[in-house]
Amino acid sequence: MFKIEAITGKYGYLTVHEVEYRVYFEENGEGIPLLCQHTAGGDGRQWRHLLNDEEVTSKYRVVAVDLPYHGKSLPPEAVGWWKEEYKLTKSFFVDFLVEFSHALGLDRPVFIGCSMGGHMALDLALERPDKFRAVIGLESAEFTPGLDLIWFDHPRISGEFKFANLFESTAPSSPENYRREVGWVYSQSAPPVFRGDLHYYSVEHNVTGQLQQIDTSRIAVYLLCGEYDFASTPEMCRQAASKIKGAKYKEMKGLGHFPIVENYKLCKKYLMPILEEITKIH
Amino acid sequence: MKVVFLDSSKVEGLRNAINNDTEFKLAARFMSEDVLLEVDESRCIVKVQDGVVTEIKLNPPSDAYWSFSIKATAESWDKLLQSSPPPFYTGLNAGMMRGNLQIIGNMEVAFAYFWAMNRMLDMMRELQNK
Repeated sequence: MFKIEAITGKYGYLTVHEVEYRVYFEENGEGIPLLCQHTAGGDGRQWRHLLNDEEVTSKYRVVAVDLPYHGKSLPPEAVGWWKEEYKLTKSFFVDFLVEFSHALGLDRPVFIGCSMGGHMALDLALERPDKFRAVIGLESAEFTPGLDLIWFDHPRISGEFKFANLFESTAPSSPENYRREVGWVYSQSAPPVFRGDLHYYSVEHNVTGQLQQIDTSRIAVYLLCGEYDFASTPEMCRQAASKIKGAKYKEMKGLGHFPIVENYKLCKKYLMPILEEITKIH
Repeated sequence: MKVVFLDSSKVEGLRNAINNDTEFKLAARFMSEDVLLEVDESRCIVKVQDGVVTEIKLNPPSDAYWSFSIKATAESWDKLLQSSPPPFYTGLNAGMMRGNLQIIGNMEVAFAYFWAMNRMLDMMRELQNK
């Protein structure tokens, strides 16, 4: 029997910073819009478990977008992108998400992001609290410098290095096949993309001294961090949460840097109470 | 507990386990490098030729050649080699970032064969906990 999932995928054309992008996104569900942001070097495939979860999609319109240069969102046709070093900037990242939400008619969506998406949760809460009703940051931190290693984009080092690196970011108790899936997606990204995204993750994202400005009466903030995360540790995430009055934080025991992929069933135990709370309050 | 790759009675078994690991064979198939492993002041060199571990040499001379070294304290190696390692000791990258492990020497080579090295670590874990 050929089982077909309920997820649908589409392409749309979006102009951001005067450049048109052909953007791929997947969605499923009805209700409060939930905009999902993949990790650096990843793509929307990371959200497949959430997109297929009827308990979530019965209350949320879950949308997972591929940023340009990621997954099925190719580089823009109008730009000679091959002549430039790819770098994800905070400005582009924020504006893309806001423009995309607007284009899809998402009314103050809930934003959920992991890793660089987790960092973006904090940036959105700071810069665009008018556009989102809540942010859920997975593996967020104020600042994670020094991770944009040259080795992630080196002519003598294959994508297998990315696989190895990110595989061990997962918890040893997470199911083997899903741990491998984390690394698999990374090993498929184009050579400059992971390191280019880490420019945002490790260089441009720095909200040290700013988190106190977030007003959780305007935008709710929920932060979750995997016990095994060594890039953005539970302590770093907890510290970030402690500086935001009204933010909620939990450490996810038995999970690593990719909770939504490596062990969605366990991650859901932490995520579902947040999603349910949002449906009641926001 | 003595670290398995420093135990003369176990190194041959370790060498065979690494060479029989399908993933190591694939990841190391172009590798011809000598890797120094250091536990506090104790050392051994894992000699790899065309993807095969030819020797695990205990107590190598101080001027022995090696491409890169994986160095950590006994305490850190103990955590790295646990069958279910604790946070920050799941692999070499975690160890480097948070677990007081160092990779020294030719980083380009070390990272080119990073998956092979992590598989080697997995084989060490299996034997360490037998």
